[in-house]
Amino acid sequence: MAAVTFSAVTKQYKGDGPLAVDSLDLEIEDGEFMVLVGPSGCGKSTALRMIAGLEEISTGELRIGERVVNDVPPGDRDIAMVFQNYALYPHMTVRDNIGFALEVAKVPKAEIKQRTEHAAEMLGLTEYLDRLPKALSGGQRQRVAMGRAIVRSPQVFLMDEPLSNLDAKLRVQMRSEIIQLQRRLATTMVYVTHDQVEAMTMGHRVAVMRKGILQQVAPPQELYQRPANLFVAAFIGSPAMNLVNATLGGTPDRPTVSFAGHTLAIDSRAIERYPKIVDRIGGPVIVGLRPEHFVMEGDADLPADQMMQLQVDLAEAMGAEVHLHATLDVAPVELEGAPVAAEDGDEVIASITRVIARVEGIHTVMSGERVTLGVKTHLAHFFEPGTGDPLR
Amino acid sequence: MSVKRKGPKATMVRVATYGVLVLVAIVVLFPFVVAVTTSLKDNNDIFSYPPSLVPEQASTVPAAQLGLDGDPLPTFTLPDRDGTFALVGRDVPIAEFRPLDDLERVIALDPAAGEKTGATIVIDGDEEDVFLIDVDGDTIEAYRSRLTSGGEFVNVDDPTDVAIGLVNLAVPAEEFGPRPANFTEVWTDKELGRSLSNTVLVTFAVVIGQLVTSILGGYAFARIDFKGRNGLFLMYLGSVMVPFVVLIIPLFQLMLQVGWLDNLAALIIPFIFTAYGTFLMRQFFVGIPKEIEEAALLDNASRSTILWKIMVPLARPAIATLATFGFLYAWNSFFWPLVIINSGNPEGRVLALTLSTLGGRSSTDINLVFAGAVIAMTPPILVFLFAQRYFVENSASSGLK
Ligand SMILES: Nc1ncnc2c1ncn2[C@@H]1O[C@H](COP(=O)(O)OP(=O)(O)OP(=O)(O)O)[C@@H](O)[C@H]1O
Ligand SMILES: [Mg+2]
Repeated sequence: MAAVTFSAVTKQYKGDGPLAVDSLDLEIEDGEFMVLVGPSGCGKSTALRMIAGLEEISTGELRIGERVVNDVPPGDRDIAMVFQNYALYPHMTVRDNIGFALEVAKVPKAEIKQRTEHAAEMLGLTEYLDRLPKALSGGQRQRVAMGRAIVRSPQVFLMDEPLSNLDAKLRVQMRSEIIQLQRRLATTMVYVTHDQVEAMTMGHRVAVMRKGILQQVAPPQELYQRPANLFVAAFIGSPAMNLVNATLGGTPDRPTVSFAGHTLAIDSRAIERYPKIVDRIGGPVIVGLRPEHFVMEGDADLPADQMMQLQVDLAEAMGAEVHLHATLDVAPVELEGAPVAAEDGDEVIASITRVIARVEGIHTVMSGERVTLGVKTHLAHFFEPGTGDPLR
Repeated sequence: MSVKRKGPKATMVRVATYGVLVLVAIVVLFPFVVAVTTSLKDNNDIFSYPPSLVPEQASTVPAAQLGLDGDPLPTFTLPDRDGTFALVGRDVPIAEFRPLDDLERVIALDPAAGEKTGATIVIDGDEEDVFLIDVDGDTIEAYRSRLTSGGEFVNVDDPTDVAIGLVNLAVPAEEFGPRPANFTEVWTDKELGRSLSNTVLVTFAVVIGQLVTSILGGYAFARIDFKGRNGLFLMYLGSVMVPFVVLIIPLFQLMLQVGWLDNLAALIIPFIFTAYGTFLMRQFFVGIPKEIEEAALLDNASRSTILWKIMVPLARPAIATLATFGFLYAWNSFFWPLVIINSGNPEGRVLALTLSTLGGRSSTDINLVFAGAVIAMTPPILVFLFAQRYFVENSASSGLK
């Protein structure tokens, strides 16, 4: 087992192309479960493949343990990788798939057999050992791919979206199995995903990347509660954080935030977290409100100056909670020229901002109804328009 | 993905489909059937009229069946008589009678048979006596046209039923009678064995050589990033466009320089490089997901382990295709051996050459020519039957997803 350390690692596929990974500094501790997350094309796979040695490092230094591995071939790095499509050897049985690395390493036959069977047992594959991959279900293939990784007892596990080909139920099950496996083996794990839930539930720490640049590395809760910038705030959470172009007002003792005809008082606890608010009174701000920061009137004891009325366009009853969709007459928040959509797939309209509130499931709200919502402004986030930096 | 349709209309369609397919199959297979049956025929049988598909020979019965000693007796069918008759004696004196009311009919009887009526009749200017003869219980008037000798026939199922008659009017009975000796004759007398072993040697060397060079070249073009790879590949591919006839003279010159004229090496070495095969293997390797190879790299497998233990087993369909085409090409190649191998050197001949000389020199032995042809075409058919199940197989993607 070993730590993995990126020091200013950069990857450029073509001599004049964009940087797939831009000067990445990241220290993955020995035995840590590190999740790499980010939108498609942000360089997660590239970073992972550089650890594997499948991509050359353009500049910078990568270490596994104490060893600089920039020029070490993949086979000598003592790492194991699980691919998104599993990449099982189609013509080999499960047994041979799992034992292949040991066979290449010329491990004695009896030991291969014993270790293969042990790995198979851990993953519940014993009865499939003599089948070919094509005779296995998706989940079983996934397990074989994991078996192939664990049988070698490598220094580091690398997994690139290993669950994305599974159906939802199996994904939940495999997710917890991978977590347990990692905790049990205590092997350093680097896990790439673009799934929110996987990122939040699996990792000790999560690294958020965007366009090749590392945005924030933190434990999941911290990522959620203290996003380092507008991008992380928008990216982490599902449904995503509501980001609204607003104006700061009021007095330094009692600041307010106004948008689309609503004015809300900012709780003093928010000022402790975002002290720069007071310097910006009278200026523009981007306020971030998570869907669960809204409550139905009467559900929580909030002062009257933290209430707002909204026309509900669509109410989605989810059982335990109801998602209220509404629109605000204010231009959507942009991040480097592109609108930050409230939810994937929502059409972007230049003059309105969509928001989602998540309230208790006991309420029956009809689409089209006007409701009064309380806003927990003490939990709100504040960002500088333009740069997207937090106001702290 | 078979979609089963139901109903009378669908059945009709299916029957019609199968009907057409069977018809086409018969047309396609007919020459092969003719070749195989002819190769088993006696040379006389080949020219017998009407021709028949099945090899036939004169049928016989054992003499013992008729209570006699000696060789098996040939059997015949007789005009005017039912049943099969064995010819038990030759040179039996017989008299030919012709009934007055049907002068074309010939009745063969014992010379002592018949009773003169005393009357006479003029036939073709000759005066002939009129006889009374018994035929099938009737007594008819006839004249004796000829005294000659013929054969004595015994009904094979009833030894008491005896007939005499002219042997040349009796139709020999024929039965299924293959002549496998054709094969041993063409094998030993016409030195087909030597040609066959030459052909096998050349073909195997060419196929193995083509597989090795195509696999190595195809893999390099597919997966190894080297400078000028794409340009080289295009050039390589372009060479497919050059027709072989253009190469004959330069290649001959080259063989002359190297000293391989009249040598089997000239049939092998120039043909173990194939741009087509390299292209085929490259396309197949390109289609194998990169991750499979990367997984093997991470398993610390060397390039050659990856190639031989992973890529090659996965490329079985392409390899089977390439091997089959290479086999057929090498096995059937005729023109180049004709150019290279001296006509006076039967030791160096390959099958195609021997067959052509066989057809030219001893074309009277058609049965042997066909036997040689059957020997020559059997291995390709077997190879095709064996390899065809690999053509459709594709296992490369089944380890994914
Ligand atoms: N082999 C390659 N050659 C050139 N550019 C590449 C190559 N592989 C990836 N890239 C580019 O590098 C960038 C990062 O790609 P990468 O595969 O790391 O993204 P990712 O975060 O894994 O995305 P996804 O979630 O879609 O898998 C992308 O812009 C991609 O187009
Ligand atoms: Mg990826």
